[in-house]
Amino acid sequence: MTVATTDATPAKRRRGGLLAADLRFALLCALGIALFPFLLHPLGGYSTLATQIAIVSVASIGFNLLLGYAGTLSYGHAMFYGGGGYVAAILILRTMPDHPNLWLAVLGATLATTVLAVLVGALTVRLYGIYFALLTLAFAQMIYFIVEQAKEWTNGDDGLQSLPNAILPLGAWNLDLTTHLPDFALGPFGNLSDLRIWYIFAGTCLLLVLMFARTLTRSQFGEVLGAIRENEQRSTLIGFNAAGYRLAAFAISGALTGFAGALRGLFDGSIPVDAVGIDRSGSFVIYTVVGGVQTLFGPVAGTAVIMFLENVLSAKTPAWRLIEGLIFVGVIVFLPRGLSTVFKQERDKNPRAVFVRSLRPSTEEPDPLLKSVEEGHRGGVMSIIETFKLGKFFGHFGAVRDVDFRVDPGELRAVIGPNGAGKTTFFNLLSGTIAPTAGTMNYKGRDVSRLSGTKRVHLGIAKAFQTASLYSDQTVRQNCRLAALARVQGPFRLQVLRRSTRLDDIDALAERALSRLDLSGVADVRAGDLSHGDKKRLDIAIALATQPQILLLDEPVAGMSKDEARKTEALIRKLSTEMTVLVIEHDMEMVMGLSDSITVLHQGTVLATGTPAEIQANPRVQEAYLGGHSEAELAH
Amino acid sequence: MEALFQALLGGLVLGLIYIAIAVGLTIIFGTLRLVNFAHGAFYAIGAYVGLVIAQRIGVGWAFIAAPIAVALFAVFLDRFVLRSFYEKEPTSQLLVTFGIALVVEETLRLIFGATTQQYSMPLALQGSFALGPITYPAYRLLFAGGVILMLVLVWLFIEKTNYGLIVRAGIRDRTMVQLLGGNIRQASSIVFALGAAIAGLVGAAATPIYGIDPATGFAFLVPSFVVVVVGGLGSFWGAVLGGLLIGELQSLTNLAYAPASQVVIYLCMALVLLFRPQGLLGESEVIRQS
Repeated sequence: MTVATTDATPAKRRRGGLLAADLRFALLCALGIALFPFLLHPLGGYSTLATQIAIVSVASIGFNLLLGYAGTLSYGHAMFYGGGGYVAAILILRTMPDHPNLWLAVLGATLATTVLAVLVGALTVRLYGIYFALLTLAFAQMIYFIVEQAKEWTNGDDGLQSLPNAILPLGAWNLDLTTHLPDFALGPFGNLSDLRIWYIFAGTCLLLVLMFARTLTRSQFGEVLGAIRENEQRSTLIGFNAAGYRLAAFAISGALTGFAGALRGLFDGSIPVDAVGIDRSGSFVIYTVVGGVQTLFGPVAGTAVIMFLENVLSAKTPAWRLIEGLIFVGVIVFLPRGLSTVFKQERDKNPRAVFVRSLRPSTEEPDPLLKSVEEGHRGGVMSIIETFKLGKFFGHFGAVRDVDFRVDPGELRAVIGPNGAGKTTFFNLLSGTIAPTAGTMNYKGRDVSRLSGTKRVHLGIAKAFQTASLYSDQTVRQNCRLAALARVQGPFRLQVLRRSTRLDDIDALAERALSRLDLSGVADVRAGDLSHGDKKRLDIAIALATQPQILLLDEPVAGMSKDEARKTEALIRKLSTEMTVLVIEHDMEMVMGLSDSITVLHQGTVLATGTPAEIQANPRVQEAYLGGHSEAELAH
Repeated sequence: MEALFQALLGGLVLGLIYIAIAVGLTIIFGTLRLVNFAHGAFYAIGAYVGLVIAQRIGVGWAFIAAPIAVALFAVFLDRFVLRSFYEKEPTSQLLVTFGIALVVEETLRLIFGATTQQYSMPLALQGSFALGPITYPAYRLLFAGGVILMLVLVWLFIEKTNYGLIVRAGIRDRTMVQLLGGNIRQASSIVFALGAAIAGLVGAAATPIYGIDPATGFAFLVPSFVVVVVGGLGSFWGAVLGGLLIGELQSLTNLAYAPASQVVIYLCMALVLLFRPQGLLGESEVIRQS
C-alpha cells in the first residue's frame, strides 16, 4: 500500500541496525563456540565430548523449534536423529566406500529425514498433547523395528561399526576432519592439538544453525507459529492454516535433527541401534527442557550440561542419572523456562512491537477496510449468505435443524432466541468452525459448505466470539496485526527469513481496525490486561482486521455495563454502514434499535424473520419467549 | 493348539495389567485433567515394596503395604509437586510427570540395582490347574480373578459413589465441575491416590509373574497409554476393551513372530488415531480438551 513510500528512511535505518545486531550475535556465538572446548578441559571434559556436544546441540535446537515454538512435545525425534545417522552411514558404505564424501552423505541423510518428517508430520500435526507425543513415539518405534529387522543394511542390534573416515571436499582441498590442530599449549586449558578439524566443522554448523534459528523465530513464520501456539482457535479464524504451520515446523525440526544425527554418526564412525531408540527421543526432551524451551541458547546449554554429566560424572558416581532426573524436575518446577534464564541473556522477547510506528490516519488515502465493502455491495440482488436446510446434529440431538436463512449485502441482521435455541451453533456453522450434518450454505452464490473456517475468513467471513478469543500475552496492536498479516500474506507462507515489520500495509490495516473500535488509546497494552468491554471490542477489531465482508458478532455487548454497551452499539452501527453484520444478542433494547431485520431461532429452527416491529408483534415469538410449554401449539 | 491357548491366556493376564493401569490413568484424567506419565512409577514402587515385604514379612502383608505406600507417595506428589501443574497445558504436565518417572526409576536403580528380581508365592499357590488341553499356573488364574474383582469394585466406585460422579462429570466438562466448588479438590486427591494405589497393588501382585526391574514401570506404562488411546480417553469400558485387545494382540504376535510383538501395538494405535482419533469407545468431545 501507499503508506510504505512515505518513510522509507527509518525503515532502512531500522534494517541497518538489525544487521549490526545480527553481526554482534554471530560474533558472540563464534567466540563462545571457540572457547568452549578449552573451558570444558579443566572441568574434566575432553575434545571428543566437545565435538559431540556441538553436534547434538544442533538436534536439540531442532527439537526446541517444535517443543518451544510450536508448543508440541514429540516423543519420537530419535527416528530423525538415528534415521539420519543410518542413512548417512548406508550411503557411504553402499555407494562410496572408497571415496566417502561427507557432503553427499550428510545432504542425502538430511533430505531423507526431511521427507520422513513431512510424511510423519502430515499424519500427526492435527493431534495435540499426549496424542501427538504417543503417535510420534509410535512412528519412532516402527522405524526402530525396521532398523532392527533390516539386518542386511543396518546390522540389526549391533549397529553399524567402523565406518570409513569421511572426507570433506572443500574447493581444491580434500579435508580430513580427523586431522589434529597444530600443537599449542594452553596451560590448564589443555592443548590446541587436542582438537581435530572436526570441532571447527561441527562448531561452524552449530553457529550457522543458531543464526538460522534466531532468524526463524523472529521471522513472520515464527510470529505466526507463536500465535498458533498461544491461541489456535483464534489463529484459524483469522485465516492461518494452523496445520500447515505445524507441519512446516515439524519438517524443519526433523531436518535439523536428521542433519545432526548424520554428523554424529560420521564423527563417531559408528551408529548404535540406540540412536533410534526411545531413550534417545527422551534425551532431547531432557536437554531442551533443562536448558530452557523457547530460548535460543537453552537447548545448547542443556545439551552441554547433561552430556557433561553423562560422560564425566558417570565415571565418578552411580547416582549421576538420578542427579540428572532431579535437575530435570527441579528445572520444570522452579525454573519453567530453563537453566539459561538464570543468566540474563537474550530472550525471545516480542521483537515485533518494538519497531511498529504509530500511523496517522490520513484523509487522502482510501480506507483499506472500505475496499471490501464496495465489493460486497456490488452484487445487488445476490444474497451474501444463504443457507438451505442447514442442520447440525450431535447424535440424535438437532442443535440446528432445517434452517433456511438469507442475508442481503449491507444488512444488519440480529439473530435472537431463548437460551439453547442453537444461535451459537448456527454461527459456528456459518463461520466454518463446525461442519454441518445436513444442508448447504452459499456465500455470494457459491457453495462453501465444505470449506474450513480458515478458507472462509479469506473469502470475507469473520467472527467475534461470545467469550473474547485473544492473544492475551500480546499487545492489543499485535493482536490486530496478526489478523492483518493473515489477510495480506494468505493462510500459509514459509517466510522464515523476513520479519513482518517490513510489511507496512499490515500496520495500516491494524491501526485502522483499532481506531474503528476506539482502541487506539490502549494499542500498546497487553491484551490480557484489558477491561472486559475492551476485550470484547478487541475481538471485534481482530475480526475487522481480516477485512471481512460479513461480520458475525456473538453477543458483542454481553457482560458490559450499560454505558459500554451503548458505546459498542454505536460502533457496530457505524460498522454496519460499511459491511454486512450478523449479531446474536440478548439485549432486546439494542436488538430492536439497531437491526434492520431479525431472525428468531427456537429449538434449532427458524421461528420467524422480519423487521423489528413485525417480530415484536409476532404471537409465536412471544410464546417462545414467555412460555416454555408452547411446543404443542407451535407445531400447528 | 495348546500354544495358542497358552498365548490367549497369557494375553488375558497381560491385558488385565494394562487395563488396571489404564483405568487409573483414566480416573486421574477425569478429575484432575492430568496426563500422568509417572503412573508407571507407581507400578514399580508397588512392585518393589511388595518384593521387600514379601521377602521379609509375608506375601499377604505385601499386598496391603504396596497400595498404601504408593497412595502415600501419590498424596505427596499431589500436595507438593503437581499442585501448580493441574492448570497448565498438557505439555507441561507430560514433562513434569516424565521427570518424576525418571527420578523414581533412578532411585529404584540405586537402591535395588538394575537386575530383574522376583519373589515366589507360598507353596499352596505354586501348583497348576488343568484347563482344557493345558495346565496353567494357579497363581496366574488367581491373579486374573483378583484383577477382575478389583476392576468390578472400581467400576462400582465410578458408577455408584459421589466421587465417581465427579470423575464422570469431570471427563465430560471439567469447568462445570470446578464451578460446583469446594470439595472437588479433596475428591481429586482421593481419586489420584486411588488410581495410584491400583497401579501399586497390581505391581506387587504381578511381580511373581513378570519380575521387576527399575525400567519395568515405564515398560508397562507406554502400552497402557496405548490402551487408553485405543479404547478412548475417559472411557472405563474403552480401557477394558483396549486392554484385552492390546494384550491379546501382543501375546498372539509374540507367538507368531516374536520380534514384532512390540511394534504391533504401536501400529494398532496409529491406525486407531488416524481413523478414529477419539478411540474405539471414546467420546469425540473429550479429545478436544486434552
